[in-house]
Formats: sequence, C-alpha cells, structure tokens
Amino acid sequence: MNALNQSKGKMKIIPDIEAFETFRNDLIGKKDPTRKTICVCGGSACIATGSLGLIELFKNEFIKHGIDDEVDILVTGCHGFCEKGPLVVIRPEGIFYPMVKKEHVPEIVKETVINGKVIESLLYIDPMTEKKIVYEHDVPFYKKQKRLVLGNNGLIDPMVIVDYISVGGYKAFTSVLESMSSDKVIDIVTDSGLKGRGGGGFPTGIKWKLCKTAKGEIKNIVCNADEGDPGAYMDRSILEGNPHSVIEGMLIGGFAITASTGYIYVRTEYPLAIERLKRAIEQAKEFGFIGNNILGTDFSFDIEIREGSGAFVCGEETSLMHSIEGLSPEPSQRPPFPTESGLWGNPTNINNVETWAVVPLIISKGSKYFSDIGTENSKGTKIFSLVGKINNSGLVEVPMGISLGEIINGIGGGIPDDKEFKAVQTGGPSGGCIPASLMDIPVDYEKLAEVGSIMGSGGMVVMDEDTCVIDIAKYFLSFTNDESCGKCTSCRDGSKAMLDILTRISEGHGKLKDIDLLVELGGAIKDASQCGLGQTLSNPVLSTIRYFRDEYNAHIVDKKCPAHVCKALVTYSINSEECIGCGVCLKNCSAGAITGNLKEAHLIDSRKCTKCGVCREVCKFNAVIVE
Amino acid sequence: MSKDDNKAKSGAVLVVGGGIAGIQSSLDLAESGFKVYLLEETPAIGGTMAQLDKTFPTNDCAMCVISPKLVGAGRHLNIDLITNSELMGVGGEAGNFKVQVKKMPRYVDADKCTGCGACTLICPVVNIIQPVEEPYIRLSDEDLQKVMPVLDKYSGQKGNLMPILQQINQIFNYLPPDVLRYVSINLNVGLSEIYNIATFYNSFSLTPRGRHTIKICMGTTCYVKGGERLLDKVKDEFGIENGETSEDMRFTIESVACLGCCGLAPAIMIDDEVYGKVKVSNMMKILSKYI
Repeated sequence: MNALNQSKGKMKIIPDIEAFETFRNDLIGKKDPTRKTICVCGGSACIATGSLGLIELFKNEFIKHGIDDEVDILVTGCHGFCEKGPLVVIRPEGIFYPMVKKEHVPEIVKETVINGKVIESLLYIDPMTEKKIVYEHDVPFYKKQKRLVLGNNGLIDPMVIVDYISVGGYKAFTSVLESMSSDKVIDIVTDSGLKGRGGGGFPTGIKWKLCKTAKGEIKNIVCNADEGDPGAYMDRSILEGNPHSVIEGMLIGGFAITASTGYIYVRTEYPLAIERLKRAIEQAKEFGFIGNNILGTDFSFDIEIREGSGAFVCGEETSLMHSIEGLSPEPSQRPPFPTESGLWGNPTNINNVETWAVVPLIISKGSKYFSDIGTENSKGTKIFSLVGKINNSGLVEVPMGISLGEIINGIGGGIPDDKEFKAVQTGGPSGGCIPASLMDIPVDYEKLAEVGSIMGSGGMVVMDEDTCVIDIAKYFLSFTNDESCGKCTSCRDGSKAMLDILTRISEGHGKLKDIDLLVELGGAIKDASQCGLGQTLSNPVLSTIRYFRDEYNAHIVDKKCPAHVCKALVTYSINSEECIGCGVCLKNCSAGAITGNLKEAHLIDSRKCTKCGVCREVCKFNAVIVE
Repeated sequence: MSKDDNKAKSGAVLVVGGGIAGIQSSLDLAESGFKVYLLEETPAIGGTMAQLDKTFPTNDCAMCVISPKLVGAGRHLNIDLITNSELMGVGGEAGNFKVQVKKMPRYVDADKCTGCGACTLICPVVNIIQPVEEPYIRLSDEDLQKVMPVLDKYSGQKGNLMPILQQINQIFNYLPPDVLRYVSINLNVGLSEIYNIATFYNSFSLTPRGRHTIKICMGTTCYVKGGERLLDKVKDEFGIENGETSEDMRFTIESVACLGCCGLAPAIMIDDEVYGKVKVSNMMKILSKYI
C-alpha cells in the first residue's frame, strides 16, 4: 500500500466522475495483492489495551531486519472482537493473533513475517472446542457472521481516504451522480426493505420520500450518532473504523432528498470518533466529494459535525434537533414529524449511523442483494454489540432472522466459567429481558416486539445466573429516571415512583401488591409520555415481571435474592474448610470487617461488612461465600 | 395575656415588599389584629413567585399557592396596599415610627379599575414597567482573552450556543458563572436559557473540577460486571459523592452512561485514557499514577 501512501501527499480535487474512475482504477491497478501487511486494530478497546504501542515496535523491527520497504503496517478500525484485543492480523494470509503484547512483536516479525511460519503459542484458542485457530476467517466468532457493514473495518486505515476508495468506496456515490435520478435512488432504498437501524425500525426509503416531497426550499439531513444506549457501541466502531462509509451514505441520501446540508450529531464521549470523522470530512472536501458542484455536477452538499454533551434524550430525534439548534433539548410533540418540519422548521431526514453506512452497499449491490438477506419483514444484516457475561464479547453483524441462541452460543462462545445462561437484554434501557427459554426465536423487529423487547440500536447484554433481574430493572430505571428531561410528569415522576418500589423490593421491604402496582404504573407511563424515552422506560420492568415473576416473589416473600446481588438480602461469610488463612482478604477489606490469624480460617463480622465484595474477588480459594 | 399587652397591640405595621414573604407576613399580622400597610415598589403585589411555574421542593404549582393569598391581601380590611411606591425614610422610635413614602403616579383610578387590561392592548406606546438594570460583568483580561476567540469563531452562526459552551467547558474545565453571564450579554441570549442548557447535559459542570476526571462506566455491561463496586470504592476512598471533586482538587468522580468499551467491562476512563477489566483491588494502583 506504499504506492497509495505516496499518492496521498499531492492529491488535488478530482474535477469530474471520469477522472475519479481513472484515479480509482489506477489505484486498484497499483495494489499488490500479495504484499505483506500487518493490520493492527486501532479501535477504542484495542487502544485501551495498548495496540498503538505496538506500531512503533513493529516499525523498529522492520528497520532492524531491513524489510521496511517490503512490509506495510496499517492501523485499522475496530475488528469487533474487542474481548481479545489488541488484535493483529497479518495479510494477505489472514493469520490472526489476539492479545498481542509488546514482547511478542520481534517474534512475530521474525517468524511470521519473514519466515512465513505460524507461531503456535500466540494463536487463538476456541473456548468451545479448545482447538487452535490460525486464520481470522476460521475463528468461530467471525465465521458465522455476515459482515457487510463492518467487513471493511479491518482492511483499511480510517484516516486515509484512498484506502476506502481502493476497496470500492465512493463508487456507489459516483454511480448515483452519473446515472440515477433522485427518485430512482429512493426506489432502490425502498425496494431493499431497509429499516432504520436506530431502533424505531421505520422504513428508510419511505422516510426519504416523505422528506423529499415535503414543502420547503431548504432540506437537511442528519446522522444520529448520539449513541446513548448503555451497552451498545456499533455506531462508535463504524465512525472510528470506516467514517467514509457514513459520509458516502449521507451524500447519496442528500442527493436523493435534494438536501443541501448534512449534520452529524456525535456524542462528546467519543473523542476518537470525532477526530476521525473530522479528518474524513476534510479529505472528502479535498477530493471534491463535499462542496459546491460535486464532481462537476450541479449537486452541492456540505457536512457539519455537532457534538452532543452527554444527554441520553438527545438520541430522540426532536430533542436532537433542538440540541443542534442550541435550544434546550426537550422532545416536542409529533406530528409534525421532522420530515415536514425539522431543523429550523425545514424538512429534515434523520437516520442512524448504521443506516447511513449501509446505503452505499445497497446502491452498489442492488436492492435485491440486500432484500435476499433476512426475514420477510426485516431485511439485511444488523450489528449487535454482544456483551456482558459471555466468552466472546464484541461487535457481531448477523443476518436478520438468526436465532438468539445461535448468536450467543455459536458466535459468542457461550457463558464463561460454566455458569448457567439466564437471559439476554436487548435494546438497552428501552428494551426488555428475554429469558433462556425463548432462545430459539428469530431476531427481527416483529419477533422481538412480540416477546416484549425491542431491536433498539442493537445492544445485547447477556446475563448469567449471577445477575439479579430486579437489580437490572432497577439499574435501567435509575438510568432513565436520571436521563428523563422532566417535561412529561408521567415520565419524570412515574419513573421515580417505579424506582422507589423496585428499591423497596430489593431491600426486602416489598409487598406482593407492589408487582401489580408496577404493572399498572408501567402502562400509565407508556400511555402518557410524549417521546420514546418515556414510552419505553417501563419495558425492562414489565418484561422481567413477565418472565421472572418467581424472582420478584423470592425477594418479596422469602426476602432472598436468588442471584446474591441485592446487598440488603445477602450476607458474606468465609467457609472455614476452604480458607487457608493467607490473609489477602483481610488486607484488602477497607471496612476492617475481617479478622483472623495467619494460616487460620478467617471470619467476617457481618455488622462491619459493607458487602463490597472485594474479599470474594481477591480470594484464590473460593472460600468467601455469599448467601 | 394581660391588659397591657393588649394595649401594645394597637397601632399599625408597615411591611416593605409585596412578595410572598411580605404578603404572608401581612396576612398573619392583620389576622392578629394589626393594621397593616403593605408597601410594594412595582404596580402589583406577588413578586417573583407569581412568575414561577413550580416551587421547590414539593413541585407545587406556584400560582395555586400564591393566588389565594393575593386575593386575601387585597380584600383584607386590615391591609392597605400601597403599590407603585417607594420608602423614602424612617423616623421615630419603636412603637411610634413615622415613615415617608413616595407614591409614583398611576394615572389610573385604582378604585374604579377592574384590571381588565383593555387599556394596555390599545395603548400605542409600549411602556417599560420596570427598567431592567444594565448587566455589568467584569472578566479578567486573562479570561477575556480565552473567551473572545471562542465567541468570535461562532458569532452569528445558527445554533452556536452548544459549541460555545463546549469550548468554554474545555478551556476552563467547567463553566464559570461570570463567563456565562458574559456570554449571555455577548450573544444576547437570556442567562436562564444558558443555564437551562448548561444544567441539562452531563458533561457540563458549574463548579470547578479536579485536575483529573475519573469517569466510571455505568453501562449495562460494566454494571453487571461490577462497575458500581468501583464507584463505591473511589467514593469511599475520597469521601465524596458522584459528581463531586476531592478537596485537594486532585480528582472529580463521574459516572457515565457508557464509554463504549463494553468488551473491556468494567471500564473506567481517567482523563482520556481507558482502563479495562478493572478490579476493586487494583483501582488505587491505577489512581496512584495521577497526581
């Protein structure tokens, strides 16, 4: 990819579509498919585990061996398998090394890069079969996915536009400019059956059409990248790993809707995504994809970035627009929908990051290609962030209609430490818990709604027997209670009332009629709130009551927390037979509740114990029991 | 009560200020037998509370609380309302005060006026009832130099308030009240509107923050994997609550909804660096790097 890097410096604006084609073919012609490339994952999670520190070491090793002209090093976007970071993939073979440490670098360069040998000790071991796996595409985590949107993340440097062009980037956009009318583009998107990936699931093509035909001189489009759902980070990965795909999607959308400006609303907690997005927009401007009279046509379009500042409700479209306008971000009554009257009263089309990113793919491969994937009413693929108590946590992209069990066991590799699988929570604070007994249901918009949850933005939090559903319901409610903007009384005070009841139950003071009260309150809040936040905040409670009523009863009647989570209902003690008296727990106990002499069994004073759980965490002999 | 006390009760009381406190005092005094003169500078009693939607801490509707009292004060035979007037001087001694009151002309016969408001609708001159004080703000040169470029950069743009507040937050590490007042005058945006936004978003702070910010992820994944225990640990260690700053200004603790590092749960972020799979037992070791 050296040739590409050289051409990067002297780039000028491409005057027209023909010149772009020549440039692109030239680029692909120069690409040597056999050239050795070391791809180091530069996603946020891998950076946190030290992936950037590896780059310099690799470079030094190349120089030491005199091969710095023959081998490239590429900092790519997120590969998705965040659990095992930092990830290093050696292409073109695709040799996959997870959890690479600094001391492994010389060995990798010497053995794998120069001698072409695979280093056995660094390979990934599949937790299900305990076999070593050499190639990235053979890893079960990747093998069962269909990575249409995320696929390019591991192949390109998100900071370099020519990398994106060389894998087919901006081709969809130029083909639209060259030979399609805006109606044709909308038809293709409508035919593909694409539904909004942000959670609502409104058909994208229809939304575009509504916005296009709405009255108004100026039209805007917005990319909603205010990914606030705790436990979901696919938008972040797309923005960090392949920002140009979002920009290209917005350009196509802008063309179809005849909009003049696009806004990307990113949450400020994603500094890396903002940095890469800024760089990508700069480069797209240099290349002439953004600006006036793009590629010699009469289409002009500009993209601006707006940063959110940490308010969950800003993910709601009317709040988001108020936030961009600089007003207090409270939601407003719909209709009028944003497609009629949005930003500054102009028709505005809002789509999620993932929706925009999939648009170029639909245009270049055709609507049939996309609609062939998935179920009758839910087409294409969806990215889920598979996290929680699961072996392979990370981002997975799967065709719609795959069963929940396949995602959790097939891709996720099951539950760690031989624990029992209990439930999966989809859709974040607006979604519900789906119990283990429903693992065979296909994942699509309708089916999830049927079982009391939602697709949402695609968070999937796996819970094992050690997770208390009441604690989880309480957690989500305290989140929504905190994030409620306060406009509707039902949401502001109702969430507080429900939270109080749940807290009472978790502290052992609950009454049986509390459950009915929760159901009643939940229904009332759903009916009386204006925006999606209030309408869905009771889902976690209602779904846990629906599937785990036994656990509620255990808290209320027996005053026991079956998962041993609710602090007021558990006690910590030390099993004197297992305890060898090493004193580690005693040293770590900040409450001074543990006593005992060396080499003798220790004791916990339950009056002093704050139930912080440090003792259990540090004990190597599993001698601390929670009951 | 002795007869002497009863004698002492005769006489009159002047209450200065017709807000909720003044009205309530007047009503109480009048009920206990005093003649009350209620003096108010503006043309009507009621004060700030009459302009509020709700009151702290019960969230009671403000008008529902105050309007019976307004009517009560207006009708009470023992209360004389002296509105649109100013207190010029007080003389005499306890039990026998003499006050001088300057009454502004109303040009309306208050006895006949029913308060229908028709005159204000047809009046061609827009009256300013209460002159608004010119806001006066003193910023140090140093602060001014920091703030001016930000304001210049975004001046005249649509929806510029958010980016301006974000930049100020970044420069000062919090939103200093004086700077906000300055921004309010400069942009001609009400201070209340700025505060509305400044208090809405989690990443803005109106109090100075520590040298380092510990963000503890409370995303679902981090929560089920023990994020709350990490928060409890640091809260315990520094003796402060979530959102507060330690006394030595070393750390500010914040819980955040999700850092987007769910693969590394439980995760914390100190300044811009993310730490994954953190345990309660090694928390302090990580913090020791930040002084």
